[in-house]
Amino acid sequence: MIRPSTDLPLGADPASRFLPWTVGFLVFLATLSLAVGMLMVSANGNWRHNLLGTLTIQVPVGPDKQEASRAVIEVLRAIPDIQEAKRVSDSEIATLLEPWLGAQTSILDLPVPILIDATVADGRTIDIETLGARLSAVAPGTTVDDHAVWLKHLMDLADITGAVSLSVMVFVLISMLMTVVFTTRTGLAIHGEVVEVLHIIGAQDSYIARQFQVHTFWLSGIGAAVGFTLSTGVIVLLQFYGDRLTEGLLPDLALGGVGWGALCALPVAAVSLVFLTAGITVKRLLGRMM
Amino acid sequence: MEAVGDIVRFENVGMRYRLGGEVLHDVSFSLPAGAFHFLTGPSGAGKSSLMRLMYLAHRPSRGSISIFGRDLSTVPRHELAALRRRIGVVFQNFRLLDHLTAMDNVALPLRIAGAKEGQVRDHVAELLRWVGLEEQIDSKPTTLSGGEQQRVAIARAVISRPQILLADEPTGNLDGEIAIRLMYLLEELNKIGTTVVVATHNEALLQRFPHPRIRIENGVLVGSSDMFDIPSDVTEK
Repeated sequence: MIRPSTDLPLGADPASRFLPWTVGFLVFLATLSLAVGMLMVSANGNWRHNLLGTLTIQVPVGPDKQEASRAVIEVLRAIPDIQEAKRVSDSEIATLLEPWLGAQTSILDLPVPILIDATVADGRTIDIETLGARLSAVAPGTTVDDHAVWLKHLMDLADITGAVSLSVMVFVLISMLMTVVFTTRTGLAIHGEVVEVLHIIGAQDSYIARQFQVHTFWLSGIGAAVGFTLSTGVIVLLQFYGDRLTEGLLPDLALGGVGWGALCALPVAAVSLVFLTAGITVKRLLGRMM
Repeated sequence: MEAVGDIVRFENVGMRYRLGGEVLHDVSFSLPAGAFHFLTGPSGAGKSSLMRLMYLAHRPSRGSISIFGRDLSTVPRHELAALRRRIGVVFQNFRLLDHLTAMDNVALPLRIAGAKEGQVRDHVAELLRWVGLEEQIDSKPTTLSGGEQQRVAIARAVISRPQILLADEPTGNLDGEIAIRLMYLLEELNKIGTTVVVATHNEALLQRFPHPRIRIENGVLVGSSDMFDIPSDVTEK
C-alpha cells in the first residue's frame, strides 16, 4: 500500500494498524444513522404535506349510499373553504384493499363504504365537528377524518426515530474522535524518543503534529472511503426493498439530492475532524514538553 | 554579569527530573563564543543532564540559563525551535532514526528548517562524502557499524552549521583510532567558529587534546580551567 513517508515510523504502530478498520466501521454506522435520520425528517415532511389539508369522508354502507354520497359532495362543494371534493372510485378503493383482499375480489360484492376525498383550500381550516354534523344531517352516519390523530402518532414516531438516529450518528463520530485521540496518544508515547530528537534538532510542534495528521488522515481516509461505500450500498438496497414493501401503504421514503449530498459530506467531514483532532492532540501533548 | 561574547551562561542552575531529587545543584558557568571545552566527571555525575539543559531538552528547576544572549525563562515556547536549530547535538547513543537512510537522517535538520529539496540532497551528499560515508548514503543505520553511525550522527549535528556543537560521550562506542579522528573533526569545526562542548570521561582523550575542562561530580560543578566567575582554586587542567 502506498503511504506518505514521515520522519516518524508511524506505519509500524500496532494501534494505528486498526485505525482504518475502526474508522471504516464507524463511518459505516454514522452514514446509516444519518440516512435513517434524514429519511425520517423527509418522511415526516412528506406525510405532513400529503395529509394535512385533506379530509376523508366516509359514507356508511346502506341501500341509498349512492344518493347519500352525492348529497355529501354537494354540501362539501358548497363550502367555500373546501377547494375540491371527489368520490374515491371503486377501482382506487380496490387498489387500496388489494394488499389485504387480493386482486381477484370485486369490491362490488363487499359492503364497502363510499369514500370521499376533500381538499381544504390553502390557509383555511375546517371545524371537523361542525362539518360532521352538517354531513350527518344529509347522510346519517357519515364520518369525517382529518387524519390528525394518526398523523400525530406517525410524525411523533418519525421525529423520535430521526432524533435517535442523528444522536447515534453524533455518538459514533465522538467515538471515532476518541479512538483517534487514543491512537495518537499511543503513537506519541511509542515514538517519544524520536519526537524528542526531532524537537532537539529544531522541529516545531506543528511539524511533528503534521506527521501524525498526514498519517492519520491517510489511514482514516481509506477506512472512511470503504465504510461509506458499503453504507451507501446498504442504503440503496434498503431503499429498493423498502419501496417494494411499502408500496401503496406509505409515502415514498427517498433521499433527495440534498440528502445524498449530506451523506457524501459525512466521510469528508469525518476525515477532516480526524485530521484536526490528531493535530490538536499532538500539540496539546507536546505543549507539556519543553 | 554576562561577559561580552558569552554564548552560554548558567547561573545557580538546579535541575530535577519530574518529582525526583535534584540532579544538578547551583551550577554556574559561562562559555565564550568559539570555545572548545570538555565536560568531565564520573558516570552519573550529571554530565548528560547538564548537556540536556544546554541543548534545550529540559527546563531548569531553578536558576537561569542564557543561550545566545537570550534568557530562556523569557523565550516563548514557539521560539525555542529556532534556538535549537543553532545548536548541533551528537548524542551518546547516536539516536539516529532507524527507518530512515543515512541521507534522510542527515537531511532532517534541513528539511525541518524548510530547505529546498534540491539543495538538501546536494548538501547532504557533500557532507557524507566529507565524513567518508559516500558509499553508505542509502544505508539504514542498523546496517552501519558503530563508527559509521557516529559519523552520520555528527553529519546530522553539523549539517545546518550550528553555532554550538554539543557531543555527549561521542567516543564511547568507538575504538581509539576512530575516536581520535572524531576529535580532530570536532577541532576542525571549532576552528571555523563553532563553540564545542564534549562530555567525556575518557582520560586518554583528555590527555591527548588539551582543551579547558568543566568538571562535575554529584551534580555539582567542582572545577574548571577556563570559566568566568569560577574561583581559580577549583580549576583543573
